[in-house]
Amino acid sequence: MFSYLVRRIASMIPSLLLTSIIVFSFIHLIPGDPARVMLGDQATPEQVEYLRESMGLNRPLYIQYFKWLGGILRGDFGSSIFFHQPVLSVIADRAETSVFIALISIVLIILIGIPIGILSAIRYNSFLDQFFSGVSMFFASIPTFWLGLNLMLLFSVILKIFPSSGFPSILKSGNWENLRYLILPCITLAIPNSALIIRLTRSSMLDVSNADYVKTARAKGLSEMRVNIRHIFRNALVAVTSALGFTFIGLVSKTVVTETVFSLPGIGRLIVESILRRDYPTIQGIILIVAFIYMVINLIVDLSYALLDPRIRYS
Amino acid sequence: MGTRSAKLLRMLSVSVLCVLMLFSAAWASEDVLRVAVIDEAPSLDQQVITSDLTTMIAIHVFEGLYTFDSKYNPVPMLVKEEEVKDDGKLIVIRLREGVTFHNGKELTADDVYASLSRWSQFGSRGSVLFNNIEKMEQTGKYEITLHFKQAFAPWKNLLAFMNGGPAIYPKEIAEKADKTPIPETGYIGTGPYKFVERSPSRYIRLVRFDEYAARDEASDGYAGKKEANFKEIQFIPVPDDATRVNGIKAGDYDYSERIPGDLYDSLKDDPDLVVTLQKGGSQGFVFFNSKEGILKENFKLRKAILTAVDMDAVLKAAIGPEALWRKNGSIMPEGTPWFSTAGADAYSLGDAEKAKALAKEAGYNGEKITYMATTSYKVHYDSSLVITEQLKKAGFNIDFQIYDWATLVSKRADATQWDMFFTYHGFVPDPVLFTFMSEVYPGWWATPEKKELAAKFASTLDEKERKAIWDQIQELVYTQVPIMKTGDNFIYDVYAPKLEGVKDTALIWPRFWGVHFKK
Repeated sequence: MFSYLVRRIASMIPSLLLTSIIVFSFIHLIPGDPARVMLGDQATPEQVEYLRESMGLNRPLYIQYFKWLGGILRGDFGSSIFFHQPVLSVIADRAETSVFIALISIVLIILIGIPIGILSAIRYNSFLDQFFSGVSMFFASIPTFWLGLNLMLLFSVILKIFPSSGFPSILKSGNWENLRYLILPCITLAIPNSALIIRLTRSSMLDVSNADYVKTARAKGLSEMRVNIRHIFRNALVAVTSALGFTFIGLVSKTVVTETVFSLPGIGRLIVESILRRDYPTIQGIILIVAFIYMVINLIVDLSYALLDPRIRYS
Repeated sequence: MGTRSAKLLRMLSVSVLCVLMLFSAAWASEDVLRVAVIDEAPSLDQQVITSDLTTMIAIHVFEGLYTFDSKYNPVPMLVKEEEVKDDGKLIVIRLREGVTFHNGKELTADDVYASLSRWSQFGSRGSVLFNNIEKMEQTGKYEITLHFKQAFAPWKNLLAFMNGGPAIYPKEIAEKADKTPIPETGYIGTGPYKFVERSPSRYIRLVRFDEYAARDEASDGYAGKKEANFKEIQFIPVPDDATRVNGIKAGDYDYSERIPGDLYDSLKDDPDLVVTLQKGGSQGFVFFNSKEGILKENFKLRKAILTAVDMDAVLKAAIGPEALWRKNGSIMPEGTPWFSTAGADAYSLGDAEKAKALAKEAGYNGEKITYMATTSYKVHYDSSLVITEQLKKAGFNIDFQIYDWATLVSKRADATQWDMFFTYHGFVPDPVLFTFMSEVYPGWWATPEKKELAAKFASTLDEKERKAIWDQIQELVYTQVPIMKTGDNFIYDVYAPKLEGVKDTALIWPRFWGVHFKK
């Protein structure tokens, strides 16, 4: 297990290096000049050139790349062209929102998706199963912005129970009451994602429900509950865990629509806005960090297989 | 449902309600004004950044020597008085005494000299003024003297216009600054609010400057007495239009800027908010390439293009409700001293047959005409879609290229890449500030006739004569067609009914001094 872990961690280094080269090249291939975007319509070509020079954008690309890479090795991801702040600090500020959203949403997804998925599988083809199938397909098809705006209309504008948008930092203020700002966004994200987990839990359980070891368990006289949970559900969990891992990563970095609707300072919005502003250091920094998170979560998911299924062993 | 079940359901409902009420503890403070803005301001350094959002926030922090009243007149702000000598070639500016910066230091001519020097060299609009200045000198502790090469009429307008304009910083900050925007530690001005902090994508916080030295005159436009009634103002980036509106209704914001036209009819009678129309119109312009390509110096072909377009259709499709736009051939909006009908009979003809005939006369044989627009701003794209369709119907071979804003801004700097592009121009109080009047702005309109009129326009001091020259320039615009105006667009904002003192503003940036919550 230990040597497997070391091998996996070592394999991350070339992957990250490759990611850095691809990201750096692609970003600089997109037409558009951050100096022009920043200075606006009135800037003269001389002023734009001056700013390009002072930002180091006139140097050959490979020099810019190695300078950036050298900085990263020293823990310096450069400075955001737009915010005039260190990239790491800009990302860290947004990471707070994204991590809270991802954690709360994933808990909601597990609490909603798995029990309903189990119930649907146990009551296969019953009215309850068909009802949950219909409802989950409905919610999986709803556009996030529509759901978010309607929740906002109901709970913020009409009932005035939750704030409509924004998220003041909890880490800076120490005020945990600010979590109320994330309730509507997390429900918005949890509902369609839960629908997918319901479907996956149900189908994975049905896949294994006719396996020989399940028949053996029933023949041994075990209670139906014990058979369903210990023997069927536990084996179905491998596929569900894998899906939850990818859902979690998506919740950290791909929630730009929800972040925009609820005006949340998250990573997803930062990526899109930085691309539109041609804020090269920020785009590069985020993508590299998100790629790293992907690799770590993937590793954790792979390791969890061994815990869930005794047949899986790493060496 | 049994009695027990009903009881259980009731208890459950009450518990859920209690938890929700606990979460919904009041989070608004009556001393804080929360303004929802459409995006993140790149910086508050107005000298080098021309973003409207930057100006809107920064006018609360920084001041210039002059500003505009509600009738578009440039009037003193940090200035006590000026003296114009030698037929307008020498201008002595005396500053108000006792004005302090947010760092406690008194404003003197040292600070003004350093700020104007930095603006002249690196400011976005600095060169327009300083290309006409031979020498600037400090002639006293509170006095600056400008020596012009020749009389330059718009000098005061340029010193008053704060978008890309000469905000005054303390000498120590201005002297160190170059083209790179001044960092947040240098946001020290003389305005009624001082900068406290910026939390990216969360807010920019300003707090009341208690030592602010207000003028005595009544508040008028951006001029006169500025009363800071809020302890704090927060400018919060809220990119989604519906959220900016819902946020007002939910009580999370007090003021939301730039609401889209398609919501206007449903909001104007909404009792939960107040709609405020900004009277300074912005203009949609299609720029023609005067440096390269098929449209270079082919004024007849440009006129053919102008003849083909019906602006009613463009404005209706792009903006919507008629209260928000005006079909207007005058380059400057109605209500300004520069309103003119000269040459405007060529505006918005929408005559495809006449356009075809003119194009034939101009020697046009279906060559490709590259038209660039952006999808980053819906109104740009929608306007362009209608314009290009009309042009195609009139027989023009339009290559419609769509980019995001950053790409378009880069591409238009290269004269070989395009023939026409669409953009919007914010309201300007003096025509000299229009981008098409600049020879370095993409479009590069620099014909001898234009140069001659522009020089006369700049050096004439008499306002009536200047207006007559502007009429001639507008006539030339309709003859040489360096740009094609679509119309005037009036943006609107919404605010909570509890706010008092919000005024429709002549320029496009709302200002929050003089505004307060109802008691």
